[in-house]
Amino acid sequence: MKNKANYLLLLPGLILLGLFLFVPLFSTIFQTIRGKEGLTLVKYFDFFKDSYYISIYLRTLKLALITTLIAVMLGFPTAYYISRTNKKVRGLYIMLAVFPLLTSSVVRSFSWMVILGRNGIVNTILLNLNIINEPLKLLYNEFAIVVGLVYLFLPLMIMSLVGVMENIDNDLMEAAESLGASRLKAFIKVIFPLSVPGLIVGSVLVFTGSLTAYTTPQLLGGSNAKVLSTLVYQNAMSLFDWDTASVLATIMILTTLIVTTIINKLSGKLSGKR
Amino acid sequence: MALLNLKDVSVAYGDNVVLKDFNLNIKKGDLVSLLGPSGCGKTTTLRLIGGFIQANKGKFIFNDKDYTKVPVHKREFGFVFQSYALFPHLSVFDNVAFGLKLRKTPKGEIKKRVMEMLDIVGLADYSKRYPKELSGGQRQRVALARALVIKPDLLLLDEPLSNLDAKLRVKMRVGIRKIQKELNITTVYVTHDQEECFSISDKVAVMNEGVIEHLDTPQNIYDNPKTEFVANFVGFENFIDLSLQSKNEDISTYNSKNGRVFKVKSTNINSNKETIKGAIRPEEIKIVNKGGDNKDENTLDGIVGISTFLGKEYQYMVDTEVGKLLVNGNTNKRYKEGEKVKLYLPKEKMVLV
Repeated sequence: MKNKANYLLLLPGLILLGLFLFVPLFSTIFQTIRGKEGLTLVKYFDFFKDSYYISIYLRTLKLALITTLIAVMLGFPTAYYISRTNKKVRGLYIMLAVFPLLTSSVVRSFSWMVILGRNGIVNTILLNLNIINEPLKLLYNEFAIVVGLVYLFLPLMIMSLVGVMENIDNDLMEAAESLGASRLKAFIKVIFPLSVPGLIVGSVLVFTGSLTAYTTPQLLGGSNAKVLSTLVYQNAMSLFDWDTASVLATIMILTTLIVTTIINKLSGKLSGKR
Repeated sequence: MALLNLKDVSVAYGDNVVLKDFNLNIKKGDLVSLLGPSGCGKTTTLRLIGGFIQANKGKFIFNDKDYTKVPVHKREFGFVFQSYALFPHLSVFDNVAFGLKLRKTPKGEIKKRVMEMLDIVGLADYSKRYPKELSGGQRQRVALARALVIKPDLLLLDEPLSNLDAKLRVKMRVGIRKIQKELNITTVYVTHDQEECFSISDKVAVMNEGVIEHLDTPQNIYDNPKTEFVANFVGFENFIDLSLQSKNEDISTYNSKNGRVFKVKSTNINSNKETIKGAIRPEEIKIVNKGGDNKDENTLDGIVGISTFLGKEYQYMVDTEVGKLLVNGNTNKRYKEGEKVKLYLPKEKMVLV
């Protein structure tokens, strides 16, 4: 009897999720496969026939992948360094790493506009040093989006990695060295495989975040570099084409699921049989 | 000529000096233990030999070559960590094979040597297991096999048995000694457990505050410790202030503060100071019947205080003229609190430090 009563505790959460997440989500998805005569996938075929949509879809995937890779390359050494510091300093470092997350993404994007703009800091410095003759176009393109996304999601990568790395015994590195491994070899053979779980979590978070991010691509990419999320917004709010917006949204969700699954599968190979 | 030679080595972390002008020589094939309380610098010494820390001053000569600046991975020393430091993502086989793979040993030979080594440590059936599937003693043996399979020039063990229970410790230390002798591998062993290190070492270095107080065979350290610290550390619980009366080749005579005469074997005198401490173990003091003999030499009068049962013997706290002494007595008779007794301190069992 008591056990059954415990399920009641789940009820508020379930009702909330059911009403406000699952119902809208499934009605959106359902709308995309409902045709005049029963169920049909014709709207999806239309999407994949349109080269404009395809190019935006591929760009979105590409930017999310590049962002994830850069986040891994920047996050890995940083996280390793942080995980080797003593407990007191580590808290401070993690706070610094997480700091970008504490401000609004609009504010962050505006700061990047100040830095990357035509008369921004980067161009001013390069012009004054006579390295370039006219301002570089750094804003409203894919480069700007990647910069903004990396800045936005790097903390997630660092935190996932630190969480795993700080549990790696320092003796392991020394043991590998005593057995004849240089620092680099020891890192590759011991620290890296043991960090894979953190790498996976971090990559999934960064990838899904980058794939679905709206504010950063909207503000830093402008109309030159559209991505799926900005396209959804445009279709729904400017063109009032809710059908296409729903199809795009569904494709976005499915892509996230597929890539997440692939990353998970890869993790098994990277970390060995375990 | 010594195989390993630490010359005037100093190590300091900031203002905290851990080793100061430290010297140590080890002969090939010996098992030398570094024994001492925590913070005495024994682990620092071992890590210095292993190459994990650098000396601020001094030289480390190994096999007639200067190893002071040689990086860890080029030293060819086997190191067994207190935590074992097994690689959790690798099987027992791969853990042991780790060092051989780095040396680009051919596959067939790796397999042969790893299995041979696992056989020696008695884990041949466990090669496919992962470290978390092993017991503490098994992990310890994997760590040992991993360090030994590369045929190291030197084996370094950092409190390898301290995470095991008492029975297993005894079994494992015999195992370590046996393998060490079979492979004739020079070994440095760090421990704070006196019994453990006496039982397996060729030589023991008792360390205190960054210096070796006494380096000798276990037997000599046990019987005739050179300093007060060593005496105290190896179980000499009683110390009596004495002053020199006359020194002879065979037997010397000392006086206690209250005028008692103590004769001591001259070979047991380890200091030339005029006032000196006479040390003796509780189990070497004899309780004799009061007034039984009229020889007053090497005796003290006292009153029995608290007594405890040690299993083999009773131990009494006896209040004597020169202070409180711990004395063991056999279980035939238990002296009562307040009883007057006479203590006899045999001259060959007293050590002067």
